[in-house]
Amino acid sequence: MCTTITADQEVFGQNVGNFGKLTPKMHNYRESILDAKPYVDPERAILTTEAYKKYQDQQVDIIRARVLEHVLENMTIYIEKDTLLAGNQASHNRWAPVFPEYSMNWVIDELDTFEKRSGDVFYITEEAKKELREIAPFWKHNTLEDRGYASFPPQSRLFYDLGLIGADGNITSGDGHIAVDYEHVINNGLVSYEKRIKELMKQLDLTDIKQQKKLYFYQAGLIVINAVRGFAERYADLAEEQAAQTIEKKRKNELREIARILRKVPYQASSTYQEAVQAIWLTHLVLQIESNGHSVSYGRLDQYLDPFYERDIVSGRITAEKATELLTNLCIKTLTINKVRSWAHTEFSAGSPLYQNITIGGQTKDGRDAVNPMSYLILNAIVQAHLPQPNLTVRYHHGLSDHFMRQCVEVIKKGLGMPAFNNDEIIIPSFIKRGIKKEDAYNYSAIGCVETAVPGKWGYRCTGMSFVNFPRTLLIVMNGGKDPESGKQLLPNYGHFTRMKSYAELIASWNKSLREITRQSVIIENSCDLALEQNYPDILCSVLTEDCIGRGKTIKEGGAIYDFISGLQVGIANLADSLAAIKKLVFEEHRITAKQLWQALQDNYQGEGQESIRQMLINEAPKYGNDIDEVDQLIVDAYQPYIDEIAKYKNTRYGRGPIGGFRYAGTSSISANVGQGHSTLATPDGRFARTPLAEGCSPEHALDVDGPTAVFKSVSKLNTKAITGGVLLNQKMSPQILRSAENCEKLVMLLRTFFNRLHGYHVQYNVVARETLVDAQNNPDKHRDLIVRVAGYSAFFVGLSKETQDDIIERTEQTV
Amino acid sequence: MTIKQGTDKTRKGLIFNIQKFSLNDGPGIRTVIFFKGCPLRCAWCANPESQRKKTEKMFDEVKNCSTIVGKYKTVSELMKIIMQDKDFYDESNGGVTFSGGEVLFQAPFAIKLAEAIKARGIHLACETTGFAKPEVFNEFYKYMDLVYFDCKQWNPVLHKKGTGGTNELILKNMQTLVASGRKYCIRIPVIPHFNYTNEDAKQFGKLFRKIGVTEVELLPFHQFGLKKYTELGREYELKNVAQLHAEDLLEYQKRLQEAGVKVKINGW
Ligand code: SF4
Repeated sequence: MCTTITADQEVFGQNVGNFGKLTPKMHNYRESILDAKPYVDPERAILTTEAYKKYQDQQVDIIRARVLEHVLENMTIYIEKDTLLAGNQASHNRWAPVFPEYSMNWVIDELDTFEKRSGDVFYITEEAKKELREIAPFWKHNTLEDRGYASFPPQSRLFYDLGLIGADGNITSGDGHIAVDYEHVINNGLVSYEKRIKELMKQLDLTDIKQQKKLYFYQAGLIVINAVRGFAERYADLAEEQAAQTIEKKRKNELREIARILRKVPYQASSTYQEAVQAIWLTHLVLQIESNGHSVSYGRLDQYLDPFYERDIVSGRITAEKATELLTNLCIKTLTINKVRSWAHTEFSAGSPLYQNITIGGQTKDGRDAVNPMSYLILNAIVQAHLPQPNLTVRYHHGLSDHFMRQCVEVIKKGLGMPAFNNDEIIIPSFIKRGIKKEDAYNYSAIGCVETAVPGKWGYRCTGMSFVNFPRTLLIVMNGGKDPESGKQLLPNYGHFTRMKSYAELIASWNKSLREITRQSVIIENSCDLALEQNYPDILCSVLTEDCIGRGKTIKEGGAIYDFISGLQVGIANLADSLAAIKKLVFEEHRITAKQLWQALQDNYQGEGQESIRQMLINEAPKYGNDIDEVDQLIVDAYQPYIDEIAKYKNTRYGRGPIGGFRYAGTSSISANVGQGHSTLATPDGRFARTPLAEGCSPEHALDVDGPTAVFKSVSKLNTKAITGGVLLNQKMSPQILRSAENCEKLVMLLRTFFNRLHGYHVQYNVVARETLVDAQNNPDKHRDLIVRVAGYSAFFVGLSKETQDDIIERTEQTV
Repeated sequence: MTIKQGTDKTRKGLIFNIQKFSLNDGPGIRTVIFFKGCPLRCAWCANPESQRKKTEKMFDEVKNCSTIVGKYKTVSELMKIIMQDKDFYDESNGGVTFSGGEVLFQAPFAIKLAEAIKARGIHLACETTGFAKPEVFNEFYKYMDLVYFDCKQWNPVLHKKGTGGTNELILKNMQTLVASGRKYCIRIPVIPHFNYTNEDAKQFGKLFRKIGVTEVELLPFHQFGLKKYTELGREYELKNVAQLHAEDLLEYQKRLQEAGVKVKINGW
């Protein structure tokens, strides 16, 4: 008997790897979106300016509601010929609206350079430039960004200006990093919120100023609900008009159905599957017209959509194919949403990602496997649509079936960088420990990329607060608290590296300094939140987040049930490898002196003999990612002061209603590793100045030489339980390896071990051949839909800057 | 100094590679321990650096650097590495595989290591060519949960010509293994000009029926080892021989099957 295991397709059923194809209609629709060029769209900016001028005298909640109302009433709307869902964000697909209330200076400054960017190019017409210049004066000293800057205490401002702490996203955008309660929206309609507000309004005692303030929020809530209803009606009218002009019978009926549905939802409860999908889409869309915050996520789409699907299947109203078509329609619609960021911010989010996450799988509130027919259809839709958005996450738990896991691996093989996995086995217990109710903890979803929150109940930015650059911090610490580049004294001087006698001495000053930086990051974050709360409440987003209505408060005033936030700590692997090299080569083996090393860093390893120093640093010190305790422990220890310190600082909602009100750590660097690498001089791990840092908590590329099990082991030594904001691990695998079914099964086993036994938090796979990427760099036209995983999200490869492309190619394994 | 210590046969083993998450050497997730040193000299050997039972230098011209192949390691050093992936073996029903070179060439040390591995309840497999005295083989295979056993030639003369040793011991050990009821997998590396004729297939079939082998695996000849010969500064006789692919072995497979043996092709 021969015992070699053979790939047993039978075990997993026949469906594995079979995802079906886009319908011709959706194929055409997708093509039209891929063809669409991204332009900067001034329409929303103009309408917003009009509304701000008109309603200047109103209370801030009312102003914000009226702005949304004015935009929804007047913006260009259209229904494309190949869509079954209506709703558009800007005057053309893929055009990016401008949100002047959050920030306007960079828009004006960059008007002439949008088209000349090295990546994330946006086009703009001369007319649009003119219109934007016209409204610009109104926004001078009148944006979130201006108010945020003005509120930074001077010392904190220094950290921000030098780029040591990044918060460009926080200071230029509104609510995001959130999933609202879509389940409630489709099951009860916006009308249910309206009813509740009206009831509560009646009970207000307006002699109490606190209650009077609630009144404004309630009034604002009613305005936005009505505005969304009116917006839907506009589409219904348009669909009817188009139906009247359409001769072809099938399309005529489709348009009539669109009209019927939009007269009903999202204001009223949805009864059919298609109504539900339309209601979700329209709501999701309006949230991204209200605010430019990214990572607006769908939450657990398979859980709340499945009952509608199964009901329609039973009643014969729909087929699986039709349901999948609508899902692909939703995926393509999701990609039409676009965001133009300042060039500085773009470096942190290369590929203009919106991080609109869909989460599937996981467990039900009572701990059973939650995979349902809709989970499978969503996998089908994601593969069929083959787009970088939405961002798909699968919630792993030990009871997830092999069949479903194998199907996920088949999706991974398609090279989409999806799905990413989040692990129930660590996230749920961590949540419960932090005070989240059990049934809510079991109902968490991914938000954006790796981070997690309870949809519909959580305030914004469960992660995505400020970025702290760890390797650069180390350089400042080594330099006696002075930024080596600007020469500014940022931190107390605990002595210069060249005069240190031991590793312990270095680490002692690291610990004290890191705590100081952590405090500065808190001050910066609070300043942003203060300005947001005072001037930029997002009303619809708050209305749809429990318990804002009950408390009569916006999210930023403490309306959400849960409110924990986290920032992002960047360059974990670089810090680990730097510390290991210093400890071993400088202090233990005295192979180089501290002076020699410091000089080499200043010279960017260009001086005489410094290349051999660099080679020694790279080759003769242990590296993070290889399951070597001595180096892994160094990063665990060096990270801990941040974890301890950040836990001390409450957010601006503490004690105002939400459970929590605290902060925790998180490592989802998104593409900030490139941007923050830019501002970082050479580091003791042998990295050259200005080159990218390692992403998330992934090992530095090409230095994890002992295979995936060793990477998982190293990563799992981090204090994952405390890094609730997410531990991002990006792994690569050559497509060749996954050709055999047997190896796919081994990948499943690998994942299971990482999650079941090592309690990893997250992992995602980039499965694309290096050759393909190189070819795409040279022939972008041939590869316009080539997708790569950047860090926590996927993006079109050809849209990225050459530098980011090179970084990804570097990180991609060569096939045999 | 270290080399001298290594000559103590059970204290240290000469190992030339340790590969974690190895995909093709048995069930589940495995760590493969590569033993350096082999009594045979197969002309097609894809791991020429594994043949000599001593450390040696390999020079990579492209990277312009040389590395030393082979390191003496103790059981506890190896166990430390093996145990790092225990969670993965447990979750995947995987374990450890001994490979080479020829593990039997360092049987006393290998047995010591096998004892330690089995004491931890870890699944253990080996890849062997079976070229060892029966008493050695008999003691060794009992530690194995699964044996991959290479059978290169049915004909003793041709065997000697192609590998430098006769197949007498090999066939004897194979018989013992098959009769023992232990799990095994017989593999034939199919090499042009050595054992690739239809007649070879027929004769293999006969042989297997006699011994009682009911299933085999074919490993088509490949050239993955080519570069290593240059790096070792050695001649490679099969330099210009074309590689075989799974589809080239269909006829061969058919002949074997006609003899009543089940055949799987482990192609690439
Ligand atoms: S038995 Fe294996 S290791 Fe030894 S020479 Fe032959 S092919 Fe090489």
